[in-house]
Amino acid sequence: MTDRPGAVRFTPEATVGPFYPGAFVADAPQNLWQVSPLLAHHPQGQPIVVVLRFADALKRPVPSLIVEFWQANAHGRYRHPADAGGAPLDPQFDGFARLRTSDEGVLEFHTIKPGAHPVPNQSGVVRAPHLRLTVFASGIDRLCTQLFFGDEPLNASDPVLHSLPGPALRERLIAKARGGAPAGDPRVYELDVVLRGDNETPFFDDWRA
Amino acid sequence: MTLSGRLLPVVVHDRESETRTPANPLHQIPPAACDPFTAIAPRLPMRPGENDLTRLAPGRPRASGEPIAIVGRIVDGDLRPVRRTLVEVWNANAFGRYAHIIDAGRNDAPLDPNFYGFGRLLTDDDGRYRVLTIKPGAYIARRDIGWWRPPHVHFSVVGSGVRLVTQMYFPGDARNEKDFIYQVVPAAERDRVLGRPIAAPGDEHTFQFDIVIRGRFQTPPDLD
Repeated sequence: MTDRPGAVRFTPEATVGPFYPGAFVADAPQNLWQVSPLLAHHPQGQPIVVVLRFADALKRPVPSLIVEFWQANAHGRYRHPADAGGAPLDPQFDGFARLRTSDEGVLEFHTIKPGAHPVPNQSGVVRAPHLRLTVFASGIDRLCTQLFFGDEPLNASDPVLHSLPGPALRERLIAKARGGAPAGDPRVYELDVVLRGDNETPFFDDWRA
Repeated sequence: MTLSGRLLPVVVHDRESETRTPANPLHQIPPAACDPFTAIAPRLPMRPGENDLTRLAPGRPRASGEPIAIVGRIVDGDLRPVRRTLVEVWNANAFGRYAHIIDAGRNDAPLDPNFYGFGRLLTDDDGRYRVLTIKPGAYIARRDIGWWRPPHVHFSVVGSGVRLVTQMYFPGDARNEKDFIYQVVPAAERDRVLGRPIAAPGDEHTFQFDIVIRGRFQTPPDLD
């Protein structure tokens, strides 16, 4: 998309408001450990749980917030026609999910850990494993951010993480693995997302200038 | 290196906007890290009639109020059609009440047993859509300051690499200009969120609402 002032007049975005229908959440994929209930097929990779807590400027939980997740599969391949990378597709994994926070502002996303992947046409640039989040709630327009995993060495060289000024800001996008889980249980990653105020989470702009 | 993006506007008198809108500008993703792998939602199984909000199911009684049709075409920033993509639509009933449980207790307006107020459809190969709904009523958003929301219809477009959530208003409604959510739309762009009455076949008043999506980078060449 090129910037053509005067030629293209975009539709302004607006808040989703308080009344986003629950059916639109319920009908979307929510648990990517499974393809469908009672189906023997399962995605490849390591099952994980991502626990997100959303808070506002007054440190209150944000209920009824919608998060859309999008991610690569365990091999680092997106189910997207532009992803012509060498990594294999997983027939059992699409990578899209939509969840809503509880009254306590919490959601738990069951998914598989995404793989790292190269950035097309950028020789040697590799994205660390991450989830892409689109956030909607009453009072805010669409927000985008990315979630990284605390136990990934590739975080040290991820170009998105390192476009943020300073380690404190980067840390706010890195989910920490919860300790003490029994061996063999899925690893649980936790992250606090602060929409505004102290420790505000960094969000990304996907409009082109 | 940091590249600053937009600073999102706060809707005045909207306590949720005031406490939830990031105070810092958005961050730009550097060009060397940009990829085109934008989210593609899987196709949902659709039932016939899901684009008709005026009946709970085909053959059931029509909801109270004035049935209206909204038609339009959805394109991306390169003016390419957003094809076979999920459009979700929701609005209050004719009395200004949402069927959402969260709207209970803060709104005296009655529920309509024949109106749930949400529907969905897939755009066609040319990016076009048509939805039937009931013209929503206005409702009070904050009684203490007398803030009314004018009649409006929510739209969400998700699927083929683009993402947009917006609200469509009705032209000529004096409440539009007084609405704090409408007011954050820059004055020069407000015509982009107004449905345009058009002559069309059928008994319903028809509004045209075309959408040009800026979010994300581009519509993928083909989804199949």
